[in-house]
Amino acid sequence: MNARFPSIPAGLLLLGRVAAAVFGGYALAAAAAVFFAAVLPAGRAEAVIGGMQLSFVVYTAAVIWAFSPVSLLRVWLGLLLPAMVLAGWGWALRGVPGGVGA
Amino acid sequence: MTGTQGGFRQAQAWLHTWCGLWFSWLLFAVFLTGTLAVFDDPITHWMTPEHHAEEAAEAARAASKAAPTADRAQRLAWGLAYMAEHHPGARMWELWPSDAGGGGELNVYWFDANNQYVSAALDPATGRPLAAQAAHAARATLGGHHFVDFHYELHAGTVGLWIVGIAAMAMLVALVSGVITHKRIFKDFFTFRPKKGQRSWLDAHNAVAVLTLPFQFMIAYTGIVISGTTFMPAGKVLHYGTGHDAQAQFASELGDGAKPARTGRAMAVPALEPFAARGQQLTGQAVRAVVIDHPGDAGARIGVYGWNSEDESARRLSGTTGMALFSAASGEVQRVRMPGAADGGTALLAQSAMSGLHMVSYGGWGMKWLYFLCGLAGTAMMGSGAVLFIVKRRHKHLDEFGGATARVYRLVEALNVAAIAGLAVACVGYLWANRLVPVGVDRRASVELYVFFSLWGLSLLHAFLRRPAQAWREQLGALAALCLLLPVLNVLTTGDHLPAQLLRGDWESAGVELGAVAFGLAALGALRHLRRSAA
Repeated sequence: MNARFPSIPAGLLLLGRVAAAVFGGYALAAAAAVFFAAVLPAGRAEAVIGGMQLSFVVYTAAVIWAFSPVSLLRVWLGLLLPAMVLAGWGWALRGVPGGVGA
Repeated sequence: MTGTQGGFRQAQAWLHTWCGLWFSWLLFAVFLTGTLAVFDDPITHWMTPEHHAEEAAEAARAASKAAPTADRAQRLAWGLAYMAEHHPGARMWELWPSDAGGGGELNVYWFDANNQYVSAALDPATGRPLAAQAAHAARATLGGHHFVDFHYELHAGTVGLWIVGIAAMAMLVALVSGVITHKRIFKDFFTFRPKKGQRSWLDAHNAVAVLTLPFQFMIAYTGIVISGTTFMPAGKVLHYGTGHDAQAQFASELGDGAKPARTGRAMAVPALEPFAARGQQLTGQAVRAVVIDHPGDAGARIGVYGWNSEDESARRLSGTTGMALFSAASGEVQRVRMPGAADGGTALLAQSAMSGLHMVSYGGWGMKWLYFLCGLAGTAMMGSGAVLFIVKRRHKHLDEFGGATARVYRLVEALNVAAIAGLAVACVGYLWANRLVPVGVDRRASVELYVFFSLWGLSLLHAFLRRPAQAWREQLGALAALCLLLPVLNVLTTGDHLPAQLLRGDWESAGVELGAVAFGLAALGALRHLRRSAA
């Protein structure tokens, strides 16, 4: 993975990957929680709880994926881009009562 | 990390090894205390010997019904009169008229001016307030609740909750990566090669993990989700904002729907027995509590909650009880929740069921024992994993930390001893402290806790001072002695012993002592194994 960045020491790359798994993974999970809270076909509080429940599955999957043979840059992008899309989508729908499913 | 070049499975093996190792000590502690927490009530019973006589007398009274007390209508009237006289301004009154059989205590609860939830006990025969029970000769102790509290917040409040939550997430990751690492997961399950050193540790680690894998996934995931809104507040913050009002709004939408609004018109709370009777009829459960929101106002709401019988608790995952809400002014039914149902839809029912699943509120004693065994298997999974890490490296130095590698291995060895044997010593030492700390000591319950944490700290110090093999032998020896001698300590300090417990049918006390003896024998077995392999 450090073919393109031969000057970056392995320890730093590893640190970057752990950070991606922990913080990038959390960002994606939180974005998923926001997204589900907006679109789940249920009352507001109910949808918030449902989103929270699902978010930990997303978090686990994100950490596992972060430790696959994919370059560090792609790991960060692969976590943060979907996170921004999901969070933005959920944020845009937050005023709609019960989300789109209601 | 070489994994990124070596394929997915190798990367997962790396993740499993290191994520597993750094969290294994904390997870071992969470699992051992969580497993003991399954039996928190029996442990509390053993730790409060002064109450044994009271409990026996209570049971005898209930059986003979020698002291007749008032019926529910009278008890509710007394509770209502007490609240109206002493706490007319409270925003909520809560009366617990009796046990499911119509006897037992009469208690009232309310929120005081500081928004604290407080209670008073009334005499069920006369309705007069009982003097607050002085902490007389009974020993102050956290009892088995110590293990419950420690296993989810380490006695450190929100900080502890977060630490355990992070460890539980790490456990989920370690489980998934562990499954991916094992190519031959089904075959592994039938493989055990004893007395083969590293291979035996690997086989043992795989066997306990694979055999109880669904349980381990369930207990980690439900454990996180129970406190999930704390760990993952994003959705709540977006929809409700932050702060006290936002939290209150969220809680009220989750709980019993929108609370009724005050009207500002005064209206005395009507007689409660008709509401209690209708609530009982609607939900089919004996009345546990009658709750009045906004007492004294025309907008008051009366909620009637039921008792879950033992039989119902055993059958249902969701531990919610029956509930019927009425308008106090019109008597109209506002909502009915049947026993075991949730207040909302699928997500809330799942939340309630996951609580029940984690805390084993269902299934009765048989299920508790199954949880206890699966919990021990999980504990063994953590312990064997941590030991396996170092056994592997005793034969072959892997040089992961350059010049510091030897020191890191030494640290891991010491932490293994203190986290596994040392924690077990601290747990049984906590029971010893319960018998040895004098009853009258100030802040006695905390003193028992100090003993627990001090023993754990000392075991860590000891593990650093002694060579690993010596440290293992000495701490396992101490563990065996403390466990096997616990019944002797009990005879010497309280005079109670196993035959007497069995004769009077006190299975809770007998279970604690037999359990301690079983742990002691296991420690002896481990000790013998160590001596043999050293020879």
